[in-house]
Amino acid sequence: MPVGLPEFVENPENRCPVILLLDTSGSMLGQPIEELNGGLAAFKQDVLKDTQASLCVEVAIVAFGPVRLAQDFVTIDNFTPPKLEANGVTPMGEAIEFALNLLEKRKQTYKDNGVLYYRPWVFLITDGVPTDHWQSAAQRVREAEAQRRLLFFGVGVQGANINLLKQIAPPERPPVMLNGLDFRDLFVWLSTSMKRVSTSKIGEAIALPPIGWGQISS
Amino acid sequence: MRWKAVAHFTEGTSHQHQGVVCQDYADYRVFDDDVVVGAVADGAGSAKYAEIGSKLAVERTLKFLSRISDHLQKRKKTWQHYSPPLSDEEAGKLFGKTVNYVQKKLSKEAVSMDCSIKDFACTLLVFIATPHWIAAMQIGDGFIVVHPENSEEYQLLFQPDKGEFANETAFITSPNAVGEMHIKVIAEKPKFICASTDGLEKVAIRFSDWQPFSRFFEPFEEYLRETDDPETEDQYLKDFLNSERLNQRTDDDKTLLLCLWE
Repeated sequence: MPVGLPEFVENPENRCPVILLLDTSGSMLGQPIEELNGGLAAFKQDVLKDTQASLCVEVAIVAFGPVRLAQDFVTIDNFTPPKLEANGVTPMGEAIEFALNLLEKRKQTYKDNGVLYYRPWVFLITDGVPTDHWQSAAQRVREAEAQRRLLFFGVGVQGANINLLKQIAPPERPPVMLNGLDFRDLFVWLSTSMKRVSTSKIGEAIALPPIGWGQISS
Repeated sequence: MRWKAVAHFTEGTSHQHQGVVCQDYADYRVFDDDVVVGAVADGAGSAKYAEIGSKLAVERTLKFLSRISDHLQKRKKTWQHYSPPLSDEEAGKLFGKTVNYVQKKLSKEAVSMDCSIKDFACTLLVFIATPHWIAAMQIGDGFIVVHPENSEEYQLLFQPDKGEFANETAFITSPNAVGEMHIKVIAEKPKFICASTDGLEKVAIRFSDWQPFSRFFEPFEEYLRETDDPETEDQYLKDFLNSERLNQRTDDDKTLLLCLWE
């Protein structure tokens, strides 16, 4: 008697969550915020070139200040890059805490729906100095990093206090100072990294592409 | 009655493209007609000699457990008709010793090849089944699914151990491998057993509730029923593992170790 063929179950794609934590304080006014917006558009375009990554990468944007959810988690094909506007102060501590809470909520949603996910990325871009209490947020970032619950990247734009960023970013991944206003290259790099993550084999560490858009402060 | 069993593994399309050999390995032994021991391993993509590690881990496991039948006989009281299931504690001890033995052998091989034991990093899944019960262990991802005789449902023994994230898992070469090992004993008659690596996870297991997808497993059970000698009549299995239909869904190495008590 001939035996039939095994059928396959449909499972959702693995997800690769990224939170962009963007400083939109008054000092970003003018060309910086325009270049940042251009970078977000370039990020979308570049991820879309890769089928696997566009199915897998989910982006959320937390802007500060004031702290607000400019974009909740969305897959790249449904992502409309926002036109961020610069004004207000720099409540970086509050923004980081907000992002970490958002991430925990998202992970719970994944778990509830049987979605497997890669280690989330939190990408902080700032040109300023926090105007609020940031120490406990920094503590949370470092604890999460130590427990390998996320990957935190700190990027300083001209005017940023890099020594302070160093106290937030984990020691093994020091903050990077952006070359001028080269947001476009930064976001293409982020996209390239996401493509590598989304096609990585389960159980494998990935090598990130070289950082051509900034200087690592060691 | 007897155990019918067969094991096959084949390289994934992503490895074919990169010219990398298959890093999965699987094998089994039947002892005294009624005890079957099976093992599968998936070499870590990042490990230098992953394919050697997975093969060694499986072979050494089977070697270490080759006297299991005697061991089970000794435990049996004269008034007992069959060897009673291992307790969780006994299973933990036995598999713990197995892991220590495999680690020792891997370390020895690492010395003779002048490399690190990490170069042999692989997952390891092992089961010992009699017609009356099954005991199993798992380090890392992959799956063991059992169809008990008196049940409609297929049963997944362990949720794939991926750490929190999709690209992390545990390996037999970790210093804390015994601590990362999951153990289970099912005191029901295991009619059908399927052990596999993570390459087939997403087509065989529903992630939302971690239930085995019965329409994936039923044909394999039927194939074993219809096949007198699965070792020689293995075209069905080979065709499946190399099918375009499957390769569209997974580019990873694929392994199937199947057993049927009949």
